[in-house]
Amino acid sequence: MADAQRNVVILDKIDRVYEMGEEPLYALKQLHLEIEDGDYVAIMGTSGSGKSTLMNLIGCLDRPTNGTYILNQNDVFNLGDDELASIRNSTIGFVFQQFNLLPSMTAFENVMLPLVYAGVPKEQRKIRAEFALNQVGLGQRIHHRPNQLSGGQQQRVSIARAIVNKPRILLADEPTGALDSHTAEEILTLFDDLVTQGITVILVTHDGEVANRASRIVRMKDGEIVSDSRIREINRAGV
Amino acid sequence: MGLRELIQIAWQGILSNKLRSGLTVLGIVIGIASVITLMGIGEGAKKEAEKQVQSLGVNLIYIRPGAASNASISQGQGTAPTLTYEDAKAVKETCPSVGEVAAQYQSSYQVQHGEYNTSTTVLGTEPAYCEVRNFHPARGRFFTIDDMKEATRVCTIGDTVREDLFPDEQPIGKSILVRGELFQVIGVMEKKGANQMTDMDDQIFIPLTTGYSTLFGLNTVTGQAVKMILAQAKDGEDLQAQFQITNLLRLRHGIKNPDQDDFQIRTQMDIMQTAQSITGVFSLLLGATAGISLLVGGIGIMNIMLVSVSERTREIGIRKAIGAKFADILWQFVFEAVILSVAGGLLGIALGMIGADSIGRFAQWTCIVTPFSIGLAFAVSLGIGLFFGIYPARKAALLDPIVALRTD
Repeated sequence: MADAQRNVVILDKIDRVYEMGEEPLYALKQLHLEIEDGDYVAIMGTSGSGKSTLMNLIGCLDRPTNGTYILNQNDVFNLGDDELASIRNSTIGFVFQQFNLLPSMTAFENVMLPLVYAGVPKEQRKIRAEFALNQVGLGQRIHHRPNQLSGGQQQRVSIARAIVNKPRILLADEPTGALDSHTAEEILTLFDDLVTQGITVILVTHDGEVANRASRIVRMKDGEIVSDSRIREINRAGV
Repeated sequence: MGLRELIQIAWQGILSNKLRSGLTVLGIVIGIASVITLMGIGEGAKKEAEKQVQSLGVNLIYIRPGAASNASISQGQGTAPTLTYEDAKAVKETCPSVGEVAAQYQSSYQVQHGEYNTSTTVLGTEPAYCEVRNFHPARGRFFTIDDMKEATRVCTIGDTVREDLFPDEQPIGKSILVRGELFQVIGVMEKKGANQMTDMDDQIFIPLTTGYSTLFGLNTVTGQAVKMILAQAKDGEDLQAQFQITNLLRLRHGIKNPDQDDFQIRTQMDIMQTAQSITGVFSLLLGATAGISLLVGGIGIMNIMLVSVSERTREIGIRKAIGAKFADILWQFVFEAVILSVAGGLLGIALGMIGADSIGRFAQWTCIVTPFSIGLAFAVSLGIGLFFGIYPARKAALLDPIVALRTD
């Protein structure tokens, strides 16, 4: 494959089977998906379509039952828990619908946390966390706790946390699901910026309007990809 | 991840639920405080016993007549008149490792002065008695070698006897009657109190020679019998002295088989060891009692840590999603447990010392907190944190991040 070098995610013949009682439940069936570096992909589907399972697999939170997963030129199928943790730390940033910030820490501390686990020295951590917070447009209120921030602000903090360790991929699971439309728009603009900077963004959503902001839309049903369409050229500026 | 980092993360976890952390610590505080205090009481008892044994005199060796054996039936120690005044003199003259020697013979008599009378122990001994027993007259004097030679009828009385016979007059120079024999009081002993069996203050001291000629009488077969010879070993020569005395007495008594010794030798060391073994058991019991409360405290920590892990499942999921490894989560929770238990340990040590001090002050009981018990308490609290923290921490570290993230 000539494009192999450009593909940051290659999933081939992926099965993810859950043993539920007698019958095995196929959350993903013989799935094949390649995602190019710098792409902006929306994965759509109803609940139960397997899109969350797919996202957990891409995010190295889960392992496929069968198949091959090449992430950033590394075969991650046989890696242990700690190695996967290390890959999540260095290669992937997560943004969740419910923000998932640690309530006992300030915004600033939350953003620094991935760097703590990466073993970055304290001074560096502060600089990089500040930089990331500026990138998401949150220069103020960074020493407040999550419960003192608005939903939009919290989601900005969580995006800052996701990008602070300069990941290749940003995985966002319904990132605007808990936000009003105005704030949602701001967050989506932020994603556009990140794509411009060369980060591969993978967005899981059931909202067509949100999906339309992406360059490529992948639709799923019953654990299989039913359609895969490119609606915009990949932004090459940042790569 | 560095140690400081881990401690910081753990510390944040502790601060995020202060009330619960405080209550968890309380169990350890109480456990450690009771260990410190009870061990202090035990240590105090030990010191008290040592002090009492020490007060009997310094480097003392007790020589008593051995149990008389009549067709293999022991008649009890001190029943055979096998030890004599001559033996005592020989010990003093022959044994180079022995300093002062005081032989003694005592018996109970009715004693009278004017309208007052009492029953007390009359102890015939030698002038060296004061030195070996570390027991001296408070007023007047003890009898001298001259009194011994001339068998004068003088006596020095114990404080209790003084109270009984001379409730409101100065005793020195007065006479008392002991079984019809007249003795002049030449001194009053200092107050010493009771040790083990005898009340040291309820005694009258007379020259041994006077005793033989007036009260005790002479045993025609064995000569002047004594009930005990107190020998004071020279400093650091206890063992030599014991050896020399044993050999001398065997020689004098014609004993070839050590099994047939007709005397018994006990050193102060023996008595000390007996006392220590008794107080040792006492300390152990107290320590075990405190240990149980510490165990309960430890289980409290484990319990709270388990609750904490299940309450913070989502936090664990988030941490794992952003790159925390097994060891990162494990150590975070182990450190939380250790910090809690060590903090409890330090507070407990402080509280225990205050407790020991107040017991010493208000209950008039010597209570000694040793560096050893402090060190032990600290080590134990650290160990408890580790031991009871590992299981919950492992449970946390093994959580599946997907499941953890899905939990509310």
